[in-house]
Amino acid sequence: MAYNLLKGKRGIIFGALDENSIAWKTAVRAHEEGAQFVLTNAPIAMRMGKIKELAEMTGAEIIPADATNIEDLENLVEKSMEILGGKLDFVLHSIGMSVNVRKGRAYTDENYSFTEKGWDVSALSFHKVCQTLYKKDAMNEWGSVVALTYMAAQRTFPDYNDMADNKAYLESIARSFGYFFGKDKKVRVNTISQSPTPTTAGQGVKGFDGFLAYADMMSPLGNATADDCADYTISLFSDLTKKVTMQNLFHDGGFSNTGVSNEVMDKFMS
Amino acid sequence: MSDIASRVKAIIVDKLGVDENEVVAEASFTNDLGADSLDTVELIMEFEKEFDIQIPDDQAENIATVGQAIKYIEEAK
Repeated sequence: MAYNLLKGKRGIIFGALDENSIAWKTAVRAHEEGAQFVLTNAPIAMRMGKIKELAEMTGAEIIPADATNIEDLENLVEKSMEILGGKLDFVLHSIGMSVNVRKGRAYTDENYSFTEKGWDVSALSFHKVCQTLYKKDAMNEWGSVVALTYMAAQRTFPDYNDMADNKAYLESIARSFGYFFGKDKKVRVNTISQSPTPTTAGQGVKGFDGFLAYADMMSPLGNATADDCADYTISLFSDLTKKVTMQNLFHDGGFSNTGVSNEVMDKFMS
Repeated sequence: MSDIASRVKAIIVDKLGVDENEVVAEASFTNDLGADSLDTVELIMEFEKEFDIQIPDDQAENIATVGQAIKYIEEAK
């Protein structure tokens, strides 16, 4: 159901790979809510995924950009404002990749050049996006910048590997940049800490299916799906959440505050 | 070894971080050289850049070994 929450708003959506992506679903919802936006992804991710299909569905233009490359980001932001006809109201950062995870390196046996690459793509890229938007004065007042994260930044999940550290760094950027973006330009910066979600990226985590089922059983409302996350993201882009900033917002059906559920306890009763 | 073959092997060594001795014609990117889906797409894009060719996705799917990559590029040039 659409409420015209983003009517007349302009934005950039990073990280839509295929129809399972949270960024994909957010783009579809943003389109339904009346927004106009540019889609972007790294050239390699564009080649792997189906972003052109999404662009056709949503009437969006695609500008390839490596989010770790400042020149690419400057070009993206300038061109987006040109195409959309003005400053931006929302930006979604939905990017993450760990080379250590991909190459099966344990957390206790990191290859540090892999670690640096993953950190640059998954965490520092968020600072680069924010700094580019800030320096180009590309955001309208009361605009909203959102990045996606995971609770492994607060509590340990062994197979999440170095992505846990990357997410902790990402969440800290939202607080730190959120201060300056708020003070100087009245722009919000938040992270959404989402339930485990079966996307291409999520499924890269070892033992993902078992973990998904566990999290679902531990959440009073059940896992939040990618569609639920898209809805929540739209609310953070809308004018209904203008004073929400510098927050890490759990969107997980209650998982993060649940000690144990009866369903999980039942598994251990004799 | 042809010029194309040595350039292909150099790209594979660099991108996958494998030992040059492992990069033999019959080696499979995924089964023998530890490439995941992202690596294989990255390799195809590197080949396109290095040799200034276009490799359509449906043909890229058939390039699974070092030898297949060399053969494809030799024919495309």
